Amino acid sequence: MPWHFERVAGPFRGATMGLAWDGSGMLFCAVDEERILRFDPETGTIEEFRKYTQRTSGIAWGPDNILFGSQEAGRRIIAFMPDGSARQTAYKLNGCFHNQPVDLIVDRSCRIWFCDPHSARRPPGVFVFPPLPHASVLRLERASHRQWNLQQGTYDTVAPRALLLSADETVLYVADGEVGQSVSRELRAYPIASDGSMGCFSVLHSFGTDYRGEHRGIEGMCLDSGGNIVACAGWQKSGPGPLIYVFAQSGAVLETHALPIDLPNRCAFGDANLTSLYVTSMDGCLYRTTHIRRRGHAANFVSVLPRAI
Amino acid sequence: MDIDIIDPSFTRLVEPRPPLDCVAQGISFGEGPVWDRREQCLYFVDIIGSRIWKYKPGIGREVVLEPTGHANGMTFDREGRLTVAGWSGRSIWRIERDGSVVTLVTHYQGKKINTPNDIVVHSSGAIYWTDSPNGLLFGGMVPDDAQQYIDEHGVYRLSRDGKDLTRVIDDDVYFNGIAFSPDESLLYVNNSMDVQHIRVFDVHGDGTVGPGRPFYKPKRSEPGGVDGMKVDVEGNLYTTGPGGIHVIDPNGRLLGRLKVPAHCTNMAWGGEDWRSLYIATIHAVYRTRVKIPGVAVW
Repeated sequence: MPWHFERVAGPFRGATMGLAWDGSGMLFCAVDEERILRFDPETGTIEEFRKYTQRTSGIAWGPDNILFGSQEAGRRIIAFMPDGSARQTAYKLNGCFHNQPVDLIVDRSCRIWFCDPHSARRPPGVFVFPPLPHASVLRLERASHRQWNLQQGTYDTVAPRALLLSADETVLYVADGEVGQSVSRELRAYPIASDGSMGCFSVLHSFGTDYRGEHRGIEGMCLDSGGNIVACAGWQKSGPGPLIYVFAQSGAVLETHALPIDLPNRCAFGDANLTSLYVTSMDGCLYRTTHIRRRGHAANFVSVLPRAI
Repeated sequence: MDIDIIDPSFTRLVEPRPPLDCVAQGISFGEGPVWDRREQCLYFVDIIGSRIWKYKPGIGREVVLEPTGHANGMTFDREGRLTVAGWSGRSIWRIERDGSVVTLVTHYQGKKINTPNDIVVHSSGAIYWTDSPNGLLFGGMVPDDAQQYIDEHGVYRLSRDGKDLTRVIDDDVYFNGIAFSPDESLLYVNNSMDVQHIRVFDVHGDGTVGPGRPFYKPKRSEPGGVDGMKVDVEGNLYTTGPGGIHVIDPNGRLLGRLKVPAHCTNMAWGGEDWRSLYIATIHAVYRTRVKIPGVAVW
């Protein structure tokens, strides 16, 4: 049965990106507007959740109603606190500033995994700190109440774009590769050891190239209740076009659904019982499809204070 | 040091080949230089290093405060107290003569201020500073709370008694360098964002300012940008800019450039005759000499 997508918000200036369900509303990032907005499915209204977000493009709930964000401009993972303040986490890997993070996920141990690719958009200000010589998945671990340690997760990625943990958190799915930045665009599965170290990856899916150009890979992923990977990828320029893919844990493609929009960015389940799928895109809108006969996997953390702060 | 002579009158201000002495190096973001007329020494900050340094010619340098909350611009008030634009500390504070630190401003109309950048003290004792949110963003100098609460970028004024805090300018973005003309009838303020321009404002008797007028906009053909500014006794404005230090006459006409081979952030007049120009850059502080003295700091 085809999935019908409706536009529920937007367009906003620039792309919409990161999504996070807060229990009764969907938070999404209007990156160029430097805002996180909240869509209330009950009323259909949009309210501002947080402004001055410094190009936050990925968001994920952590414990204690803390919303973590990947700030591309600030070159950091920021903690949007319930009291309205914003606290930065560790930003140095082995003494060097990391790159410009774009997506993140928080595991049940409160470790934050994030993609740290290079960006063509230089951070603002005097350029004092060069980027890392690699583009990896990094991991933040709490050292104390206010301190974080930063660890390198992958050593073989070239442009990580999106992350997802398996339901039992023993596998990290990584969408690696970006058009113009890498030879391939792949969905990889990395086993995670109990200490957080990552083993050798398996390629679950690979995106190709045709006479029209490189196929755009995965930009956003979420997990359904069966442990399948729901991903948004593609563009109209080449390949099969913008699609929602449903991958089994093995990488088998279970379903694809055409998107009526070009350049999808992120996807996440929301609404009551997580039965709707939301998608953001480069056109600056928020889209939703309902009655899709799939449910989302419950996140580790959601807010219990789902109001603007 | 090489110079660019744009107007022949520039040679009345600087020698054809002025000296450029490195007086401090190994810092990670030099800023906030100010000369202490009492001790005949230079204070400057290392923003990322979160230190205030003191350099005494012929002696050397020492750290006088650490950490500073990544302090930025500094000046002296009329009582000779080092007065600081707190940048990542999101405050205005000063060091008393006994060494204690006193916080002067942290909030405006109930909201935490952004990140004070540069600072001057008027003869009335009022403190003026620039405040933009950019310090919430720059790596290595981010405050404990990186959330912006005040929408407007601004120039603020705190009366001498500390009771009257007003925002005197808020019609532009990324206010950075700030300087009075010698008679304090004019206030120069620049914008360090992409626009990169300097405007001039008439200063009223009550400390407020009139509408801004365009004063100078550098051509951006080389690295560097408008940041710190200082004025000499004839009213010539010295500003950091692409390629070094730009020297502009009171009519807004570029006279010439001091071609400092580093990214300049700010400068200060110094020496007994106020004809030494100390230039802060990202990683070092330099000194040169000019012919016309700068406006003395209290």
